Amino acid sequence: MKKLVLVSIVLVMMLALAVPMSSTGAQDKIPIDVWISFQDYRLDWAQNVAAEFNAVYPQYEVNITGGYSYETMFAQVAVAAEQGQLPAVVHYFEAATQDARDSGLFKPIAEALDGRTEINGLPVDLDDYVDPVIAYYTLDGEFTSMPWNTSSAIMFSNMRYLNAAGWDAPPATWNEVDAACEAVMALDDAPEYCWTFPNHGWFFEQWLAQQDALYVNNGNGREDRATEVAFNSEAGVAILQWLSDQYDKGYLYYSGAQGGESWSTVDQAYSTQQVAMAVYSSSDTTLYTEMGEEGGFETIASFMPYNDETGWTGNLIGGATLWLVDGLDPEVEDGALTFLLYFTNTEYAADWHKVTGYIAIRHSSNELLEAEGYFAENPNQTVAADQLDQSTITPATSGALVGGFPSIRNEVTAAIDRVLLTDEDPAAVLDAAAEASNTIIEEYNLLNAP
Amino acid sequence: MTSASQESIRTQAVVARGSGRRPAWLPKRWYAHIILVLACFLSGIPLFYALLVSTQTNAEVFRYQFTPGSGLFDNWDVVFYERHLHTYMINSVIMTIGITVIKTIFSLLSGLAFVYFRFPGKWVVFAFVLITLMMPTEVLIIALFRFINDLEWQNTFLALIVPFTASATGTFLFRQHFASIPPELSEAAQLDGANPLQFLFRVLVPMSWNTIGALAVVQTIYAWNMYLWPNMIISDPDMQTIQTGIGTLRLGGGALRFGPLMLAAVIVSLPPVIVFILLQKQFMSGFTLTRDK
Amino acid sequence: MIVSPVILLLAGAAIGAAILGFVFQRAGGRALIGLALGAVAGGFGSALFMIPLDYCTFEAERESLDATFGFILVGAGIALVVTPVSWLAGKLLRGEGLVSSTGQPTQGTFKHWWIALPLLLPTLTILAVFLYYPSLETLRLSTMLSRLGARREVFICVDNFTRLAQDQEYWDIVGRTIYISFFIVVLSMGLSLLIATMAYLPIRGASIYRILLVWPYAMSPAVAGIIFLLMFNPSGGMFNYLSGNWFGFKLGWLNDPKVAPWTIIIASVWKSMGFNILFYIAGLQNVPKDLIEAGAIDGAGVVRRFWHIVWPLLSPTTFFLIVTNVTYAFFETYATIDYLTPGGGPLQSTTTMMYRVIQMGVYNNDMGKAAAQSIVLFMMVIGLTLVLFRTGGRQVTYGV
Repeated sequence: MKKLVLVSIVLVMMLALAVPMSSTGAQDKIPIDVWISFQDYRLDWAQNVAAEFNAVYPQYEVNITGGYSYETMFAQVAVAAEQGQLPAVVHYFEAATQDARDSGLFKPIAEALDGRTEINGLPVDLDDYVDPVIAYYTLDGEFTSMPWNTSSAIMFSNMRYLNAAGWDAPPATWNEVDAACEAVMALDDAPEYCWTFPNHGWFFEQWLAQQDALYVNNGNGREDRATEVAFNSEAGVAILQWLSDQYDKGYLYYSGAQGGESWSTVDQAYSTQQVAMAVYSSSDTTLYTEMGEEGGFETIASFMPYNDETGWTGNLIGGATLWLVDGLDPEVEDGALTFLLYFTNTEYAADWHKVTGYIAIRHSSNELLEAEGYFAENPNQTVAADQLDQSTITPATSGALVGGFPSIRNEVTAAIDRVLLTDEDPAAVLDAAAEASNTIIEEYNLLNAP
Repeated sequence: MTSASQESIRTQAVVARGSGRRPAWLPKRWYAHIILVLACFLSGIPLFYALLVSTQTNAEVFRYQFTPGSGLFDNWDVVFYERHLHTYMINSVIMTIGITVIKTIFSLLSGLAFVYFRFPGKWVVFAFVLITLMMPTEVLIIALFRFINDLEWQNTFLALIVPFTASATGTFLFRQHFASIPPELSEAAQLDGANPLQFLFRVLVPMSWNTIGALAVVQTIYAWNMYLWPNMIISDPDMQTIQTGIGTLRLGGGALRFGPLMLAAVIVSLPPVIVFILLQKQFMSGFTLTRDK
Repeated sequence: MIVSPVILLLAGAAIGAAILGFVFQRAGGRALIGLALGAVAGGFGSALFMIPLDYCTFEAERESLDATFGFILVGAGIALVVTPVSWLAGKLLRGEGLVSSTGQPTQGTFKHWWIALPLLLPTLTILAVFLYYPSLETLRLSTMLSRLGARREVFICVDNFTRLAQDQEYWDIVGRTIYISFFIVVLSMGLSLLIATMAYLPIRGASIYRILLVWPYAMSPAVAGIIFLLMFNPSGGMFNYLSGNWFGFKLGWLNDPKVAPWTIIIASVWKSMGFNILFYIAGLQNVPKDLIEAGAIDGAGVVRRFWHIVWPLLSPTTFFLIVTNVTYAFFETYATIDYLTPGGGPLQSTTTMMYRVIQMGVYNNDMGKAAAQSIVLFMMVIGLTLVLFRTGGRQVTYGV
């Protein structure tokens, strides 16, 4: 019998443990749960800010939980919504914008602010956020979600190779990349490949926007709900054709389609000097600059190379924003707003930029960094912001709004994979991807359109 | 097999093959030694290299250094301080013990019911259990995922444990074992006035430690190594189990840090490998019926 | 409606009646009862899938493929109901008890039969709630357009299936799954048999060899993926470094669509061989020694002796291992793939059917299509099991 008793004790203990840990919160404080899609040094940074916030505002208890990736956060929120277990703030990437709007789960920031100019003593100054960010996240004329980590696609160049090949500055266009590659690959100590990029549909979107071409119809989904993709245009085919040529010439190193969790194969190729250039997200500017320092070469960041024939209109923003959940208790909502304002205040926005390379999203932060002399010392850090600043805002460069965007992205990623690894015709491959994407949109709209 | 019979085979084999064709310096059956050494070497290399890398920094990994490196303590810090492997290990231990203990108890109970009771519709119940052998959890996982979400069990141990606490394998294992126990024991127990549960725990269980051990070993390795289901149902990082938790070591920007990843892989593998090597025999008998779910 | 439900019902009834009438007649029962029972069972069977689907496959505006699917479903429903009924009826008519089929001792049972219920309850509840219910739910979902977090679900009849049938990409994935699984099973079992035979020989250090050979089984598929990621990583992996230095070639172990499946196969074979070796050694120990001895005295060659005497006696082990290895290759490789080639590999070359289900259901949030693919996978597993049992299972020499 003793064993039976023992076993029952174990059982009871396990059931007790099975109760979710989160149910044991602080008693008097107002809990504000925030979910963000990172689980690395960026999560640590956010949690440090939250700790400071909790010290400054003892009435609140901000609790930040990290997730695996943007894509999984998306699924996680859908599940939590069905269970009614949403936190106060959710960190969604740009591709989730339409889904977030359709879900009806979130409250626009502007609506929650309701014209107030300060909350808990923190000033509200939405005009202080930089324009491309405001443009992307202003939907139906309303400031919808709080910007935090905003990036753009840029290029990092290993100047040891480029200088040796006779290039003082990184190439700016597709043809220049080709010419630079020819020179680099002719070097005696040529790298294994000339350049690389993580195959993620986002880079295709960037190259498409540069050519002022739409991703989906109805003004990139900004005039009306998108019903079809438009990316299988001449501009889209040109991207695939160019990538395919670069690959066939042996210039482009292709490390495989990226699942979205990590682009480490590209990082590895760049840091071990297997390639001379990497088109990448500006989110890792700090890291890439350091890789060069550690590897004994200079890294220069430059604008993402563009198609010579169509010229450069502008680039898109990437990254993610913080969405305020609808239907919170007023005190929780105010707490969440306070935290969002605190989290993106001038100092933190500047620090966030230094730690990562995401652009400093406030004018005042940029002024602060300028005054500190940070930009002068770290010229790589301004590239993404400059690229966005100089972009002409058109429907194409404002970014697409479309339901089921993450799945569509996967279709595009798969199309690039196919074009690089087979001899199939880029136009045909892209058309097939477009057809599959149209089905996704149609089904999405059938299920989600109000 | 007893050592005596092994001995007799050896002599028979030697007699049958005769000797003299083999040069003196070659060990007996040298070809077998070559194949076996090669096989051990090939299966050992990946783990050995992983062990090496677990002590190295990334720079040393990319230099292809084949001696222990200088990064073991840093890697240790990454695994246990920057990431929280111990949290995942505790979760996995709880999940593994939960599945193993509950499944063993449930299987004992249902084995008892099948062997020591005659009840109407027994064959229907039997078929009901038998058919589940053909239903791998993996093909139901989408619906199970939705269902567990409806139960609001996401991110709890309930989701990790409860769906796996019953099994046809366990039931049949005990049924087979109990059926081989002389029925006189049960008659005697009933004459003594024992109720079925008393009979189970006082008579059957003490006679079944081997079978219980067998099921426990199979279940422990199975649960410890489970990946797909925890990966789907657990989104809270503090609730991750070990197999999916290692994946967090891939995150963090920059080139993959192989040292910490390998250190974690080695640490994670130790418990099941030790259990497996020590309890090989039990493991085998536990696996008699079919792959378990 | 192309075909009226009544006609389908009647057709089902006729087929059921014919089969059961035949069964009853042969077993010496009254044919009339057989006919009646068969008609009910057949009619019920024809409606088994069609009533939940509301006969949607036969709507006039649907394509002929839908109607074909409809007929298959009607046929499957009839088979599903009539087969067990006729099997049971045959058994009863031949006077075989049903309970005896569970092979229970009749002595020593406890008096109060109802005590069995609470004993069985936990197991039955768990099986019903977490296996049977999700099975039905999978069937239901497979007829839906469904996303987590969406406003609504839409019933789309068998569209998820007809689309799969027409989707070349999906057939490629099916082919790839079979390719990867085939090589995992054959290589792992073949090498294991060779090694087990060697390790079984009475040689010095046999027990040490055994331990050194079997441990990889306890490694998890996930860890197998992680360790092979280290070795086969295209930029910086040890394998390419060594092969480049020694033999002058480097392969895209993870990013070449022709090679990547082999990386998965190698990692899986590495991981699963320990298990197979263990069972083959155990199987060899059960081969009666006098048989081998007799063969040796007859002077039969080593290979012939093995093939004619040992191999047939190993067939129960082989059969058991095929079943477990196939399930391993189908399902457990998921973790290995997920760590080695997250996203399913270049040109989807490492995307197995299981991997696809998760991509569809979890990452694309397309529950209906994922459920439909699960069912295809389910049918394949059941089909394979049945084929194995009919061909292999019957010829197996049981004598262990």
